[in-house]
Amino acid sequence: MSKLATWARLKSPWVLHFNSGACNGCDIEVVALLTPRFDVERFGIKLEPSPRHADVLLTTGAVTKQCAERLKRIYDQMPEPKFVVAIGACACSGGVFKGNYTVAGGVDKVIPVNAYIPGCPPKPEAIIDGVVKLLNSLKAPKTEAKVNDSK
Amino acid sequence: MLDFLLIFRVLVFPGFTFILFFTLFCDWVERKIEARMQNRVGPAVAGPAGILQPLADFIKLLTKEEIIPRDAKKNIFRIAPIIAFSVMVFAICFLPIDGSSAISMSGFTGDLIFIMALVTVANFFLFMSGWASSNPYGGIGAARVLTQFLGYDIPLFLLALTPAFLAGSLTISAIAASQYLPFILLAPWGFVLFIIALQAELEKDPFDIPHAESEVVGGLETEYCGGKLAFLHLTRDVQIVLGAALVVELFLGGPYGPVFFGLPAFWYSLWFVLKVLAVVIVTEYVTCLFARLRIDQVLTANWRMLLPLSVLSLALTVAMATYVYPMVV
Repeated sequence: MSKLATWARLKSPWVLHFNSGACNGCDIEVVALLTPRFDVERFGIKLEPSPRHADVLLTTGAVTKQCAERLKRIYDQMPEPKFVVAIGACACSGGVFKGNYTVAGGVDKVIPVNAYIPGCPPKPEAIIDGVVKLLNSLKAPKTEAKVNDSK
Repeated sequence: MLDFLLIFRVLVFPGFTFILFFTLFCDWVERKIEARMQNRVGPAVAGPAGILQPLADFIKLLTKEEIIPRDAKKNIFRIAPIIAFSVMVFAICFLPIDGSSAISMSGFTGDLIFIMALVTVANFFLFMSGWASSNPYGGIGAARVLTQFLGYDIPLFLLALTPAFLAGSLTISAIAASQYLPFILLAPWGFVLFIIALQAELEKDPFDIPHAESEVVGGLETEYCGGKLAFLHLTRDVQIVLGAALVVELFLGGPYGPVFFGLPAFWYSLWFVLKVLAVVIVTEYVTCLFARLRIDQVLTANWRMLLPLSVLSLALTVAMATYVYPMVV
């Protein structure tokens, strides 16, 4: 039964895209994922309108202090099991905006992050690779440990 | 022994299990067509050519956490999606699928009206599910379901009367059985209008305002997650199968077709499945080709154009059946 549930979760990760203060560069790359060129619906990845429907939260951009509370609320509204992918250098660490008086920092300052995809902006291939690695970490706990080791 | 057969027919074939898997299959067909129309590949990884994608979505949603918002009307929020789904499946049980309906002796005079009434009830429960979520977007989506419903219900019913008049009966099985020549040939105008009204009933483009993502987030589904969302999605997909099956029964000769060898029930089921798939493909093409209308445009289109046209269609059918067809046939 749990095997079936894992299979289903691997095959149908629905994503919600949230921009917590990005320059729109990463957002364009996320849109490129969903459109014909990269078409992630092949993997069952679907963009959902509401956080209640989503499994994976794709966040882009450094988290501004104004947005931090909203980002946390969006995260809280998602049903378990949920995952967060930080897309781009700013979302990973704050990027060039690190230390700015309006910026709280990377996404992991506010909510737990499962996968970091660096780049400015990251290529769509890199984003697909990150999401697939995250999903494979679901399948076998051992792989997850390996990924952590390599960091 | 008879009871055992009845239970098998209701639960397995052509009842619940068959309808469930056929619905998931139709969902896959729709997603593939939409993807190909947009020059994409569509679901490709889950099963051969992604055929298990709808099943994976369904199972995944069932295993997600159930959240009930604090302000929601909890009981209605919980049961409304399931009731809407059950009512839809119940309505399909009255349609002849393998030569007779799932409940073999269920056909009675006027069951066409009964099925249309069940669709109305199911839509009302969809409205309730959005209303009970106490979310502004859910509320707007639910109100839009009812507003749109006011527009298309009467034309849809008038158009369903066209084949009923040609067959001289309000019983679905009698209408399906009387089509030696499918009614799409005798009344093509009724068929075209019925497909247009059906797009509105199924909430597909150009009439998908109740769940227009760019306007009202998820419409009535906004607050739903987990199993309840799974049933809301399934309700929509079953509704599509039910709509397509109605077209098949009313205009395309029902499940009847040539029987080559062996059991007629097998061939009838095959013809039924193929015909429903054909209608699903047509409606999905229409969905992909048209952009969404505004709610006022939908109501104007339905009341100013579709309603008079459906009355005209009925009048034309009556005239043709009374004066022209007797001379030809």
